[in-house]
Amino acid sequence: MNKNNSVYLYDYSFLSLINLIKKLVQINVVPYDIKNKDYQANLFEDKIYLKTDEDEKVIKDIISKLGTNIFNTIYKIYLSNDKYKEITIYYFFVYSLKYKNKVFYMRNLKSINKALKISKYVGNEIHKFKGFLRFKELENKVLYAKMAPENNIILFLAKHFKNRLKNEYWIIHDVKRKILSIYDKKNYYFVNADDFKLSTNNLSKEEEDIQNLWKMFYKTISIKERKNDRCRMNFMPKKYWKYIIEVSDEDEKDN
Amino acid sequence: MIKLELQEKLKILADGAKYDASCSSSGSKRVSNKGFGNTSISGICHSFSSDGRCISLLKILMTNCCIFDCKYCINRKSNDIKRAIFTPEEICKITINFYRRNYIEGLFLSSGIIKSPDYTMNLMIETISLLRHKYHFGGYIHAKAIPGSSEYLLKKLGLLVDRLSANIELPSDASLKLLAPNKEGTKVSKIMNFVNTNKSKKFVPAGQSTQMIIGATKENDFHILKKSESMYNQYKLKRVFYSAYVPVNNDKLLPSIKIPPLVRENRLYQADWLLRFYNFKVKDILDENNPNFNLLIDPKADWALRHMDEFPKEINTCSYNDLLKIPGVGITSAKRIIKARKLFKLNFNDLKRMGIVLKRAKYFITCNGKYFIDSSFFKYSFIEKNLVLGDRKMTNKKIEQLALFNE
Repeated sequence: MNKNNSVYLYDYSFLSLINLIKKLVQINVVPYDIKNKDYQANLFEDKIYLKTDEDEKVIKDIISKLGTNIFNTIYKIYLSNDKYKEITIYYFFVYSLKYKNKVFYMRNLKSINKALKISKYVGNEIHKFKGFLRFKELENKVLYAKMAPENNIILFLAKHFKNRLKNEYWIIHDVKRKILSIYDKKNYYFVNADDFKLSTNNLSKEEEDIQNLWKMFYKTISIKERKNDRCRMNFMPKKYWKYIIEVSDEDEKDN
Repeated sequence: MIKLELQEKLKILADGAKYDASCSSSGSKRVSNKGFGNTSISGICHSFSSDGRCISLLKILMTNCCIFDCKYCINRKSNDIKRAIFTPEEICKITINFYRRNYIEGLFLSSGIIKSPDYTMNLMIETISLLRHKYHFGGYIHAKAIPGSSEYLLKKLGLLVDRLSANIELPSDASLKLLAPNKEGTKVSKIMNFVNTNKSKKFVPAGQSTQMIIGATKENDFHILKKSESMYNQYKLKRVFYSAYVPVNNDKLLPSIKIPPLVRENRLYQADWLLRFYNFKVKDILDENNPNFNLLIDPKADWALRHMDEFPKEINTCSYNDLLKIPGVGITSAKRIIKARKLFKLNFNDLKRMGIVLKRAKYFITCNGKYFIDSSFFKYSFIEKNLVLGDRKMTNKKIEQLALFNE
């Protein structure tokens, strides 16, 4: 299908990507690839910047035409760290137009299979972080959590904790992407971590005691006759240990 | 000084609770309107201890003081161990502080029996009442009902928690008499029956579970699984947990083992899933002449090997129920197969993409009439050897790949 070497560019945002894909479908152009605007093309690739609408209506259109399942899948792929996520979304979108919800069972088609895999991978990481995120209480009672997930999942976590810890002020900090999600007991907001002076060194009086209680509980609850480090690692991969306070000491020891 | 005391207490009362296998936090859709905290229908694991078990709930005892003397239990009356008791406020404080920091999904409160069953239950109710009504805590709570407590208190506790359950601990009355002389099986089944008949959206919304200790008494796997089946049928339990016996006490009535029977425990869990989700009956899996699991092969593959005449099954035509009988095919993959084969004909590659565990399934299926290698290999001895030893060592990889991928 790759008749050409045209790489189409978008400006990082979901809206711009999805409007571009919609346009490509409309004018019946199959891209060689789709990349963000700072992409370094190689000798054989042509970069093309198409003017598209920056219209939010496209989201409603997709949802009403293809349903929320397909939209959510596309959105999760967009949030993934996959190198080829844009072109994966393009093909998944094209097939979704053709097959509608049957697309979820067309795993014999390579690009659909890939799309479903990526979206599942993102979904799994969201679920894991609902459990693995650790808040600490700052001096001013604000709860603060650092994380470094593989994918850009902060929106889903903000939604989750808005329902769960609705009577608290909390901040979730994605240190990889330098994004903060800040919740003020009503709404959550996203800000660039560089634009926001945050002092997180001063902890509340109780914080250390509570952390010690938890670490002690964690050690106590394990049955030594059943020790199984491999099993633990399968469920709780080492790459996440740095910010999980009950295992971060072990993590540092190993490194 | 006070802080140190709380640390010490938590250590004692978590240590006494750790042998309970259950830690699930699923099945409830609770939202807190006034306060904070909610539950997730699928449950959330927050951590994993170094034994690989999920930590989802703050699993503690109200007290490890106990008037009973169950031989297998670390908290039995005759053991000379440090004893402690939490105040209701202390439990609230730990639960809330852990929950706010996202360490846990909620509380799992169990208890030794202090003074009397009703007295103990009242302490637990007071604690959970405080959590729910004073602190407006909407997270998950699993409470262990105390056998022998009154129905009035069961009702009261059940209205506060997500899950309320009682542990049968041993699979027969004879074993209970031997090892838990104070604990009557009928008291436990009375609780199960009460929870089952009163279950509603407000009363124990996440249902009940129970636990059996494996390997402390002489029951065979058939006997244990029969017990599970009858409890699932009678009381609509959500789960039966199996806990490999860990020798915590020295007693001439207890077996002297050093390593808990973990493989056996695993086989029981696998068989338990077959009962709950795969439409198997105990009599399909085990019987009086064949009362124990094959420790080398999982129960489903073992069943398939004993029913070779039902295989190989054709993936593109066999029924959903038949799909479920194929080793390596789970619920999700069976559903995917049903949907997908309406759209196109499935081959081995497609199955791999759909998440079917081919290294087990391939021996028991055909795709469009084709076996994964020459169909003369469809023989008990060949398949058994491969399943036990792992196919990589046994078969010539090249032949296999040619057969698989030259479609």
